[in-house]
Amino acid sequence: MATVSAVTLRNALCQLQCRLTGVPQHAFGYVGLVSNYCQVRTKKQTKAQYKLEPDWFVNRKNRRQGKALTGDNEDFVQEVIGDTYRNQDSMLKEDPWPRQEYHRNTRRTGVVAIKLGVVPQWTKEGHKFFTTLLQVIDNHVIRYTPPEEFEKTSGWKPWWGQRFGSVVVGAMSSDPRNFSKAYNNLFTEAGVPPKKKLTRFLVTPDAAIQPGTPLTAMHFRAGDHVDVQAKTIDYGFQGVVKRWGMKGMPASHGVTKAHRKMGSTGGGGDKSGIWKGKKMPGHMGDKWRILKGLKIWRINTKYNVLYVQGPNIPGNTHGVVRIYDTILRYKRPAPDNHPPMPTWAEEDSQQGVELEYFDENLHVMSEASVSYSQ
Amino acid sequence: MLRFRIRTRPRKMASLEGLGSGPEGRLKRLRKHVTALIRHERLETTYAQCDETRGYAEKLITMAVRNGDRDKHTMEMADYWLLEKDLIHKLFKVLVPRYQSLPATATSIHRISTEYPGDGRHMGVLELKGNPWPPVRPQPRNTRLHLHNIQLEEAKKEYHQERLRAKSAAAAVPPEGSSVDGPAGSSVDPDPIDSESESGESKNSGDSSKR
Amino acid sequence: MALLAHVARGCSRIPKLQLEAALSVRFQSTLSHNDTKARRARELRPRRNYLLNDEVEQHRKSLLQQSPEVEEIPVQQAEANVPRDFRHVMPEFLPDPNPLYRDRVTEKLERMDMYRRRTCIDIPEFYVGSIMAVTMADHHAPGKQSRFVGICIQRSGTGLRADFTLRNVIDGQGVEVRFDMYGASLQKIEVLKLEQRLDDELFYLRDAAQEYSTIPFDFEPVPLPKGATVPVNSTKVKLNPRPWLERWERHELKGVEDLNLPEKKYRRARQVAKPWERWDLMKRQRESINEDEEESIMKETYMETESTRRARGRQKASLKKTR
Repeated sequence: MATVSAVTLRNALCQLQCRLTGVPQHAFGYVGLVSNYCQVRTKKQTKAQYKLEPDWFVNRKNRRQGKALTGDNEDFVQEVIGDTYRNQDSMLKEDPWPRQEYHRNTRRTGVVAIKLGVVPQWTKEGHKFFTTLLQVIDNHVIRYTPPEEFEKTSGWKPWWGQRFGSVVVGAMSSDPRNFSKAYNNLFTEAGVPPKKKLTRFLVTPDAAIQPGTPLTAMHFRAGDHVDVQAKTIDYGFQGVVKRWGMKGMPASHGVTKAHRKMGSTGGGGDKSGIWKGKKMPGHMGDKWRILKGLKIWRINTKYNVLYVQGPNIPGNTHGVVRIYDTILRYKRPAPDNHPPMPTWAEEDSQQGVELEYFDENLHVMSEASVSYSQ
Repeated sequence: MLRFRIRTRPRKMASLEGLGSGPEGRLKRLRKHVTALIRHERLETTYAQCDETRGYAEKLITMAVRNGDRDKHTMEMADYWLLEKDLIHKLFKVLVPRYQSLPATATSIHRISTEYPGDGRHMGVLELKGNPWPPVRPQPRNTRLHLHNIQLEEAKKEYHQERLRAKSAAAAVPPEGSSVDGPAGSSVDPDPIDSESESGESKNSGDSSKR
Repeated sequence: MALLAHVARGCSRIPKLQLEAALSVRFQSTLSHNDTKARRARELRPRRNYLLNDEVEQHRKSLLQQSPEVEEIPVQQAEANVPRDFRHVMPEFLPDPNPLYRDRVTEKLERMDMYRRRTCIDIPEFYVGSIMAVTMADHHAPGKQSRFVGICIQRSGTGLRADFTLRNVIDGQGVEVRFDMYGASLQKIEVLKLEQRLDDELFYLRDAAQEYSTIPFDFEPVPLPKGATVPVNSTKVKLNPRPWLERWERHELKGVEDLNLPEKKYRRARQVAKPWERWDLMKRQRESINEDEEESIMKETYMETESTRRARGRQKASLKKTR
């Protein structure tokens, strides 16, 4: 109820402003939004629930203790593991799946990356801005489930019907001895070493990818827009001053024991009681957050690094992030100029892969300084 | 350069030299620990204090090895951190030659059992390597003659032989694209592992019940 | 043999039935009814949602990974005669020592960018206390360029964020401008007088008479004789009477005349001083890059920048003499 009334009020005010000033409504959209901002007091936060992984997850850890190997034998085992997984391409058991056309509603898979750090870059106009370096670290497609099967196995009836299948992507290969056998067997279909991180993306069937396909930074192009999803920094249990930015109370003037407290929790009469969504101390951070429509300014193909717009990607350095094509309508790639389908393959770069790709508006460091014409 | 992982932030340990002694008191107490460590080459106290002391002792020894006794800054530091001045000679004359070519840390740290009944503090031992005391931990067992190691040695021989055979076979037959597969292709063929008796005694054999 | 079997099985083509059997392993809960409270809490505790630097480095070095390893900086003994104080000449090449922000790939990529930028624009050697002129592209200036002359009062930032601050007095008003060293619209950096002061930051010039920081815009460049070290300007600045922007008696300033304060102020300064920090070896360790790493980075920097220096025909870095 509260939401509806706020929105209608805002629209009404916006229309009124338009009528008074004779300016088209879209020009006032933003102004109206700011001036009529109404805070909706409902329970938005869900309580952080620390649960075990669901029943259908295989047990991941190898709980059996390893036997002590001599140095030579340890080297030998590592040699075998290395030989086993070295030649990735030969692990694709079938012929590559045919590539399909990109459509307006196509949704491709995403990639898993780690956050490396924040560095400034400059545009061709000489403006400074910050980018975050995201390294697509050792990604492979582990499994593809077509929509018909995915609808049945997801455990609930998806509202999207049979629009999406799912792709499981793994990142960071590691020693198979660290994991349980059941977990290692998840990777037999793809023929890759067991991965430390697994994640799932919803894809349309025309963007299906064969298991075992490597995903690199070339999955995206410089200039594309992506959504980035990651867990925010875990601050633990925090008070209201840090968690919600409340002011607390003065250091002196008779204040006792209330310097960082939140003060009143509500009024009396009709509005009595503590309302749902009241900002209180509690667990802060460690929540999934999405940043939408971030531009990729630059790609380094050697280290598989994407330079993504903005200094505020959630999480710590070396946090794990999910990157996929943006869902924002006006920033999605156009069908006539689309990214590689379903992902980049070597045949896409006939002239060979360059070390770096830049957005056209980015000032490249090896070019002359920006200067303005008279 | 320190060769072990250090904590991002130091432990404050504010009341080591009595309540309210602050960061200065912390250094005073650590100074005693460092002196004792260099003197006796082994130190037993709480794990937290061992860990804090370790950084300072290591840093001091690293500086001494790196800069020698002619460096003014190193000498000042040795003078501050070693309360008994004959230990300065020990640092430069005994410890520096001992750790000069050691490609590892000069100290080692161990957790030891908590006293019971007692105050429940986690105790630790910090020691200089190459000390004359009997070792804190027992010598690791030699596992070379254990069954799994013997089996692995045999497997290693077989593996390398098979690899050689594959190579010679590839050299004999003119390549037709198949030789690109490399030696790994034949080696990973799970021929020798079919017998179920082997999986029973394998290292990760807990799944055998499931089959 | 058995272990080999296990390893080899990881990639062998397992029949589909067997695969399904493996996937349908019944989940064995790690918790049971007779667990202690502490163990239950440990199992349910939220996990760290990021990787440690060591884990990432370990993965980069592992044989199984796909992306190329960041190669160590090659140590070439023939060219290894890096001047001893080279880190004072190019301090911005040393990364931020805070372990929360360290990453070898970022630092490497950042340094590559800096070398590239240095081939396009001449960024000369300068120190805090040098008199400099900076030309910037400017939309609003006549001729679309503006030139600012001043004394460098601070250098800060590392990597591409490196910047420096110039101070001058214009029409009786103190003006300070902060420039990005690697900014795209920077046209030219000139060092009009290469020298250094007794302090690492000259913010006390804000509380001094204006003539100390007044530099005419037509300041004639003062060339340094060939092979000379950087001279130290040992001017002692006389500060204005209080109030000041900061309590300067609490900073250990060398380039300031006697402050003439009441004894109370000095006593308080002595009380809040932290003389023991000088002996805190681990504090120093945490706040700086370790020697080996510094050496290798400086070696790379020296080798990379030497070629551009030679191409420009510029004089060899006249090194800062450590004070």
